[in-house]
Amino acid sequence: MSMEKKRPQLNLTELYQLKWILGGVLAMLSAWTVLYMDVEAWLWLALTTAVTPVVMRWPVLTLYVPRWAHRLAFPLFVALFAADYYLNREPLPAMIRLAMMLVLYRAVTPRKRRDDLQLIILGLFLVVVAGVLSVSLVFAVQIVVFTGCALLFLMVINLIDSAETGQPAVEFSASAPPAWMHVEWMRLARRLHEATDWRVALLSSGLFGGVVALSALLFFALPRFDIGNSFFLDNMITKQSKTGFSENVRFGDVTDIQQDTSVALRVEVSDRRAIPAELYWRMLVLDVYENGLFSVSTELADQMRQQKRRVARILGSSRPRAGDAVWTFYLEPSTTRYLPMLGSFFQTNFSGGPQDYAINDELRMLRLEKVPAKMFAYQVDGMRIEDELGPVEVVQSRDVMPLYRDVPDDIGNRERPPARMPDFLKLSLEPADLAKVTEWSRELATHPGGAKMFARVACDWLATRHTYALQMKLEAGDGDPLVRWMNSNTPGHCELFAGAFTLLARGAGYPARMVTGFHGGSWNEGGNHLSVRNSDAHAWCEIYDTASLRWVRVDPTPGAALPGQVAAKETTEAVLARIQDRSWNARLDAVRMFWYRRIVDFNQNSQAELARDAKSAIESYARGVKAVLNERLKTIGEWLSRPWDVARFAAWIFVVGAAFGLVLGWRYYGRVLWLRWRSGMTRKGADPVRREAGRWLRKLEMLGGAKEGGERAAVRAELERLRYGPRQSWPSPQGAFRRAKRACAAKPANG
Amino acid sequence: MSQSAPNPARARANGPASHAGDGGVTGWQSAYGRPEKVRSHRWRAFMWSLVYPYRGNRLMLTLPGGIVIAVAMGIAAAAYNTANNILFIALSLLLACLVFSGLLSWVNFRNLAWRLRVPPPLRAGRDHAVTVELHNGKRLLPSYGVWFEIAATGEKKTARLPLRGRLDAQGATTLEWTLRPAARGRLSVEVMSAASLFPFGFLKKLVGSQLKREVLVWPAPVEYQRSPVASWHQPGGVERAMRAGQGGDLLALRGYARGDSHRLVHWKASARLRRLMVRQYAAETQTGFSLWMRTSADDWARPEQFELLCSLVATMAEDLFRAGRLMSVAFDGEAPIPVRRMHDLERFLDRLALVKPTVQTYESSDATVSVRRANVLTFAPDGARGVIAYVDGEKAATA
Repeated sequence: MSMEKKRPQLNLTELYQLKWILGGVLAMLSAWTVLYMDVEAWLWLALTTAVTPVVMRWPVLTLYVPRWAHRLAFPLFVALFAADYYLNREPLPAMIRLAMMLVLYRAVTPRKRRDDLQLIILGLFLVVVAGVLSVSLVFAVQIVVFTGCALLFLMVINLIDSAETGQPAVEFSASAPPAWMHVEWMRLARRLHEATDWRVALLSSGLFGGVVALSALLFFALPRFDIGNSFFLDNMITKQSKTGFSENVRFGDVTDIQQDTSVALRVEVSDRRAIPAELYWRMLVLDVYENGLFSVSTELADQMRQQKRRVARILGSSRPRAGDAVWTFYLEPSTTRYLPMLGSFFQTNFSGGPQDYAINDELRMLRLEKVPAKMFAYQVDGMRIEDELGPVEVVQSRDVMPLYRDVPDDIGNRERPPARMPDFLKLSLEPADLAKVTEWSRELATHPGGAKMFARVACDWLATRHTYALQMKLEAGDGDPLVRWMNSNTPGHCELFAGAFTLLARGAGYPARMVTGFHGGSWNEGGNHLSVRNSDAHAWCEIYDTASLRWVRVDPTPGAALPGQVAAKETTEAVLARIQDRSWNARLDAVRMFWYRRIVDFNQNSQAELARDAKSAIESYARGVKAVLNERLKTIGEWLSRPWDVARFAAWIFVVGAAFGLVLGWRYYGRVLWLRWRSGMTRKGADPVRREAGRWLRKLEMLGGAKEGGERAAVRAELERLRYGPRQSWPSPQGAFRRAKRACAAKPANG
Repeated sequence: MSQSAPNPARARANGPASHAGDGGVTGWQSAYGRPEKVRSHRWRAFMWSLVYPYRGNRLMLTLPGGIVIAVAMGIAAAAYNTANNILFIALSLLLACLVFSGLLSWVNFRNLAWRLRVPPPLRAGRDHAVTVELHNGKRLLPSYGVWFEIAATGEKKTARLPLRGRLDAQGATTLEWTLRPAARGRLSVEVMSAASLFPFGFLKKLVGSQLKREVLVWPAPVEYQRSPVASWHQPGGVERAMRAGQGGDLLALRGYARGDSHRLVHWKASARLRRLMVRQYAAETQTGFSLWMRTSADDWARPEQFELLCSLVATMAEDLFRAGRLMSVAFDGEAPIPVRRMHDLERFLDRLALVKPTVQTYESSDATVSVRRANVLTFAPDGARGVIAYVDGEKAATA
């Protein structure tokens, strides 16, 4: 009879409790996907998060739900789904909310086997949809945790099925709840601890790690075909861009974005020398100012020509040059549909496949049809870093959609008004305000030197009257808020400076416009990329210089370089050192960048590249090993070919003898010493000698104890003494184990 | 739980069920144990088994497995259609889970050995425990959720013997099945397969089993009524039996064995043979009966009546043996077989288990019997259903 303590087993009640808890955990994990899915399902999220732990603790509460409520549940859910779809006209959010309702229902009602399966499927749906919509790194963590929980859940269900085979089903009610509904968490945790063999748990965890590793391998190895289609889920949900990056910008919108320190854009550059000292990521040009609102005029909007065909590659307006860097952008979801650029480009490739887009080469603007609902990656070749926007290098012929003005009016053959050019000199102000602006502009325009000089003077003028502040409070009063601010000494933010400069320039007769985008960014050394955060959102201006026939960038916000101002020449290393970010957030961001770069952006080309890399790495390693081996063999050959004398021979004998002695010493004494040392260290009951003896006893038992001969019986007696006897009566453990090994290896006499 | 552990290597080598085991037990069979060739070319056999699975080894898709595969196919279709890597991740994870499931299922069955125990004797109409002994030969990992499909000839459907809990490494357990044979005869009990849904229930894994045990089912005992004939209560009918006992007549001499009384030592014989010899006395018994079963198909045209005959004969034979009054038994024209030991009775019951109505090929009559021996029990049909037992032509019992 074995002396080993037997581990207890979980009984059926405890298995049911475990299943119930795992089901609740799965439900909450699924519901929490809403946190990063950006779908309005907060009510269901809050309900699930609040109610599920309660019913996990007191499952008996679920029995108090009347039967009619269960009968009504599904018709109610279907009605809610139909109403949701009818009101919002968005199928995917409605489906997500329906799935949330069902998850909540399944989490808080007693479940049969099929209900458990339904819970897993609903959870998987939510996790995968959230991953597809957000392309977030959280998805990777969540799906791994979800899979682990789901597998454990399925295993417990399976164990329950095994334990219940052939047993009649028991009906229960609120008055007579089943025993498992009285959950005692601490007791269950204790029982779990007792029933779990840590070695098996460790092995299982290792195996699950193997599953994750295998899935990674499968991910990279699954053959990819470039079918070239867009994902249908994208079309089932509408996203709004951040208000500061849309066609209408009210004062404070850009600064609102600046409160958010999350990363909006990551940029990978093939050649870091291409990174300029000042980074102005242009996105959107605004030309109209009215009543505190900057917007895009119809005329300017008409210049953004929507293209007829969806393409994955766009040719830009600049020529390629040798040594051009490749810029890969990873735009976070829901940021904007205007793609940030530093200037004109040779070509842009969309990683997500063909897209609907609009482009204006003169404005250096590229716009997608919709705000990307997930991370959007695009690669730009031959991008020019332009402080001043001149005429385009290459005029591309584009297949544009006709504007409504270009289409003849069928009704009454009326002629449409012709498309007009945007007016960058227009000032839509009240007369009093206009007069003030004109007066200031005249004062400033007295200096000769053209637009650039005016820009400097105007920036100085603004800087002397106002300081920079992210938060500002403009005093109440009549008239235009921007003019009131200009008339005051109140600090202001970038939008106010840019807006004021635009008004001043126009008042002085210089065409000017406001540009929104990002300014700056930080260099992530770990991820080898630039991180641009939402807090880098910025507004600046462009003024038209009639002398050079170029639009010159002017950043009137205090602290920025003025046009024509020559900054000290910085090396790339100095620039990167200046903007380097070493914080923990940056390290996490490097992981996120890896996720985007290697996982989300993985495609057919990456797969081929990976295969090539793997092949070359293996070949290189094999070459290295071969070279090392050759080197060693050569050394040995040289050593052997040297003349042998007594000293060398003696040294050789000594080395071989020492090695042999070491092996023998370990065999005969080392193991004994090690076991003795361990036995002195370990606690009572876990003596390694006793454990080793037990192991050999089990081996002998396996070989058939009944028919053993005399020698084996003697060995057994010795081992039993080591296993169970007092330490004083022990024979030499090493000798006993050696004899046990011999006895196990020997064939029994009776065959 | 502490039984002699099977050697998995030997269990594999044994392969099919051994019928030579004692106590109605077969040899061990392991999950991946197969013909003898496997031992020397295990890997090759394993690879071949992937192409040509062994008989009875099957993988069947369950509902959750079907759902997982359908979901995986749906995700794969969407992933390839859209080249969306998130979907490829989900697909990879699902595929890896399927592989993981197969691996755990393989581990669960690994080094698992079982054998069938059908302890004789079996009687028709009585409950008997048939057990499958299960041993987990793994060194570390337990086994879960295994069940055995077991069937017996005449049973309408296979029974399922589940392992309800955990079977620890190096542990053993028995799974019990209550079998009630419907009729006498030869009964075959077979473990059809070992199966499991472990770990996640995606696939039902069936491992073919070749464990089979054939046993004889003795006739069912019946209630019968004895008639008050003289032979049952014969006065002074103590006679010497030809077996060892506590009677007064010397039966034989035998060698001394430890525990024998010194009074029994036969000193003369011991001196002559130069080793201790003891006296062995004959047992005394009441008047014995001989049992003669005639199986003529002419007499026993109705099968159910013949079955009743067998049951009555078996019951009376056992009753008489217990009372020490069964002298011999005979079938039809065969010579009577003396019944001295339990083994003789069991052989008779074994024959009863298989006996069938035969075409009469010999001359016999009650008169002949009575001439040859007294107290002979014979049997005859009683109407359409019953059976009557006669002692020397006198009605002795009915059933």
